[in-house]
Amino acid sequence: MRYIGWTLLIIFWVLVGAVLHYTLPQRDIVRIVNTYEERQELGDWTRMFWSRPDTQSDGLITRDVQFIQTVRANGRPMVYRNEDTGWSWPPYFKFDTSNLYTEAADAVSTRAAPEWYVITHYGWRNEFLTVFPNAISIRQVEGPDASKGIPWINIIVLSLIAAFFYAIWVRWRRFRRARIDPRLEELQDNWQAAGDAARAKRGRIRRWLDTWKAR
Amino acid sequence: MVLVRLLFIAFVVLSIIYLSLSLYSRSKARDRLEAEWDAGDFEIPRESYVRAGLAEYDGSLRRKLILGVYVVPMSVVILIIYLVNFA
Repeated sequence: MRYIGWTLLIIFWVLVGAVLHYTLPQRDIVRIVNTYEERQELGDWTRMFWSRPDTQSDGLITRDVQFIQTVRANGRPMVYRNEDTGWSWPPYFKFDTSNLYTEAADAVSTRAAPEWYVITHYGWRNEFLTVFPNAISIRQVEGPDASKGIPWINIIVLSLIAAFFYAIWVRWRRFRRARIDPRLEELQDNWQAAGDAARAKRGRIRRWLDTWKAR
Repeated sequence: MVLVRLLFIAFVVLSIIYLSLSLYSRSKARDRLEAEWDAGDFEIPRESYVRAGLAEYDGSLRRKLILGVYVVPMSVVILIIYLVNFA
């Protein structure tokens, strides 16, 4: 029972962590290599890793998606998709996909004369599932070692979530102490009393039976 | 349509929060008034003292601040739209 409880608790917190890690914005320093558009098949369960920018896109099994190809400061490649989030989840309310595409195309630089950009994005890159992070915005910085800035959004959102869970936890603990613990103790006491009474009764019967034994 | 869905869900969720908050706040105001009457020495009966106090509460700023339940998320959404698309 103890192990089941722990397992459920760990699964819950891993899921919460995964959702937050997927949804909250992150920043990479990249050099933009190219932009391209490719038709994507969206018919299977990995659909949830692509946006739903409008009602039409819900029903489409294939559609064109824009991509931004980059090389990160550590030399490894990273490809971002560039999609509107529209009014749906996650709540970035991104509508300027075409503008971002133009900016990215304008920011292309070569390895010989690199220009570095901070690219804000959410989501994961997974080669096996063909999943790409969604680029939100780009901003030029001086070099590959430039500061990415303080992640204010993440600090605020995570603090609010922590405060929310803490408030629930405190109230739950107070409620348990006031209402449930006394009940449980009462139950336990009754149980013990019942056990004592049964034992006492059995003792009486036993004594009575013993009176029939041969002496 | 996606916007309509978002607005609908947001309206329902925020309305639940708004209703619960306003009921909670009003019951708090009532408790405070009753405690006030019990502690003090008033000429008027308890019931009418509380009723008058609640009428005053209904016009108070505190009650109107609960409308922030609708205003704050809407402002946050507008701020996000501005920051993501236009800044």
